[in-house]
Amino acid sequence: MKNKMLKIVKSWEFVLLLILVLEFVVFGSINDKFLQPVRIFSNITNYISICIISLFVTMVMITGGIDIQASSIVGLTSITIGVLWNDFGFSIWAAVGAAILLAALCGALSGFFVAYCGVQPMVVTLGGSFLYSGLGLVISRMSAIPAYQGISGFPSKNEDGTFSSFRWLGNAKLFGDLKLPVQIVIYVILIILMYILLHKTKYGRSIFLVGVNPQAAEYSGINTKLVKMSTYMLTGIGAAIAGILLTSQLNSSKYDLGSTYTLSIITAVVLGGTLSTGGKGSIIGTALASLVICMLRFGLTLCFKMSSQNLDLPVGIMLLLVVSGRQLLRIVRHMDA
Amino acid sequence: MKEFIKKISGVRWVSSLLFLIALFVITGIVNPTFFSYSNIIACFNNSCVFMLLAIGISFTIMTGEIDVSIGAVMGLTAAISGVIAQQNGSWLPMLGWAVLVGAVTGLVNGIGVAVLKVPSLIFTLGTCGVVRGIVYIYTGGRTIENFSGSFTRFGNSTVGNTGIGVFFLMMIVIVAVLAVLLNTRRGKYFLAVGDNIGGAVLVGIPATRVKFFAYILSGIFAGISGIVFASKYGQITIIAGNGYEMSAVAACVLGGISLSGGLGNVIGAAIGGVIMSSISRLLVFLGFSSDYDNTITGVMLIAIVVIDALTQQRAIENARRERLLARAAVSGQ
Repeated sequence: MKNKMLKIVKSWEFVLLLILVLEFVVFGSINDKFLQPVRIFSNITNYISICIISLFVTMVMITGGIDIQASSIVGLTSITIGVLWNDFGFSIWAAVGAAILLAALCGALSGFFVAYCGVQPMVVTLGGSFLYSGLGLVISRMSAIPAYQGISGFPSKNEDGTFSSFRWLGNAKLFGDLKLPVQIVIYVILIILMYILLHKTKYGRSIFLVGVNPQAAEYSGINTKLVKMSTYMLTGIGAAIAGILLTSQLNSSKYDLGSTYTLSIITAVVLGGTLSTGGKGSIIGTALASLVICMLRFGLTLCFKMSSQNLDLPVGIMLLLVVSGRQLLRIVRHMDA
Repeated sequence: MKEFIKKISGVRWVSSLLFLIALFVITGIVNPTFFSYSNIIACFNNSCVFMLLAIGISFTIMTGEIDVSIGAVMGLTAAISGVIAQQNGSWLPMLGWAVLVGAVTGLVNGIGVAVLKVPSLIFTLGTCGVVRGIVYIYTGGRTIENFSGSFTRFGNSTVGNTGIGVFFLMMIVIVAVLAVLLNTRRGKYFLAVGDNIGGAVLVGIPATRVKFFAYILSGIFAGISGIVFASKYGQITIIAGNGYEMSAVAACVLGGISLSGGLGNVIGAAIGGVIMSSISRLLVFLGFSSDYDNTITGVMLIAIVVIDALTQQRAIENARRERLLARAAVSGQ
């Protein structure tokens, strides 16, 4: 029992949790508006795409790969939904389904090149990020509405003013007075699903094994190529979910939504304790890390009046300090031993 | 002669050059108006920013690492030289600041990657964020424009009547000098470290110092590219250079530099830079709208790396088969 407690306290997730609590204490004591649930929720919903996608990218990085194309798939999904619904007469849910399918295909294509052709993941997904954002632009040209304007006017409100249908996803609040946005509920469900998938199933164990030692995984009868490819496909689907929620929330379908997310996603995954060389990582860590970044951005703008355009600086400093600190600690420990 | 052809076809940047020529020829066949001296020279003249970035990052890539902070460094030095240009300042302080900013960023990256051994993508991601933040603080969020005329004129000026841009001429000199330097004993250290760091250390190559040096070079080149950027475009927003690091990596890949390190050449990086910056111009001549820019870049990039990976796999497979056959022949005797 004591050993188990010690293990939890020593774990990286616990440190992240402490940082998160510290943020609440510091920012909360400076400005008590920080502790209002409504503000916290709305802030998380603004950051929800990065939170969601980073969960999926965690899996890719555990297999030893990297995915920098997910952010371009966000825009691709968004514009696909818009064009199919607006110009091709699809019903909104059919358009959403088609967009998810397209995103999964995009992910699978890159995954295929990584797993079956043995190309470096960084290069393939770099090419993918050009390709899929370009594809988004091409699709947006099929619409009668100019690309910069974005397609809007999705089916939305009931007569009593509540959101319904597609826009319910991005705007409705649940649980009465708690006013919990739907996105956060979806996020929590995704965390639970991904946690079970990665940490409690055979598939999840094989992901770790592929990351630790692909050869050993292959010899022990795991279809390593398929496992690798599937992680990229899942990331495509994750990006599609983020794209759908974003489109619904903004009521606007644009090809360049999410194009700047790449670095934030990687930051969240790495801060969550996932090794970029593969083999180690956890969903809880990533989820906590993305919340830490999210709350840091929120707190700095609210309490220190920092411009929201300039949040790269603190996040960058935090990332540098955390990774350097961990590495220093490892070196010191190595010397002791 | 035959040996010469065999030797030259084994050099990776030659295939990149052939690819560039093929692109030009195809464009010319589809649209003969492309085949004019001024069009072709313009492709080269406009490629200086990408070439500088690609050459800089090629050093880190050759050592097997990566540097994604170069886009931010470029943005910062572009802003600094923009402000100097507004006050009619001379080139010397610009160059001084560019080298300083680049070297300091490179130094920090070097400490993180070479000494602390943090994975390079992650560490340079952090410095990227920090430098971006400094850009914002420095400019106060404003776009810098209205430079003195002489600054922007110089960026677009040419040497005599040849049409060759001043910057492009400097690029040729830089590439030539680097190509010679990299062929020296010490120059080959970069590739040695990238190919097999353990082996490099064993034969007495100071791997940490080489990586340090690669990052400083990559920073300095990014810094200088900021001056060229400012001079060429005459307007610097706070997000100038965003995403340029990815284009620079793409240029290196197109130039035949392996992202796992140990393979490549600065000439390849320069050619890759020309390809990356020419695509949009070529598409216009081919009758596509520039909307297809990213799509075609993506397809090209993926196709090249996949073909490259497959041919390399086949080569390895063939070598293995030959070895096995030779062994069977020996044991059969």
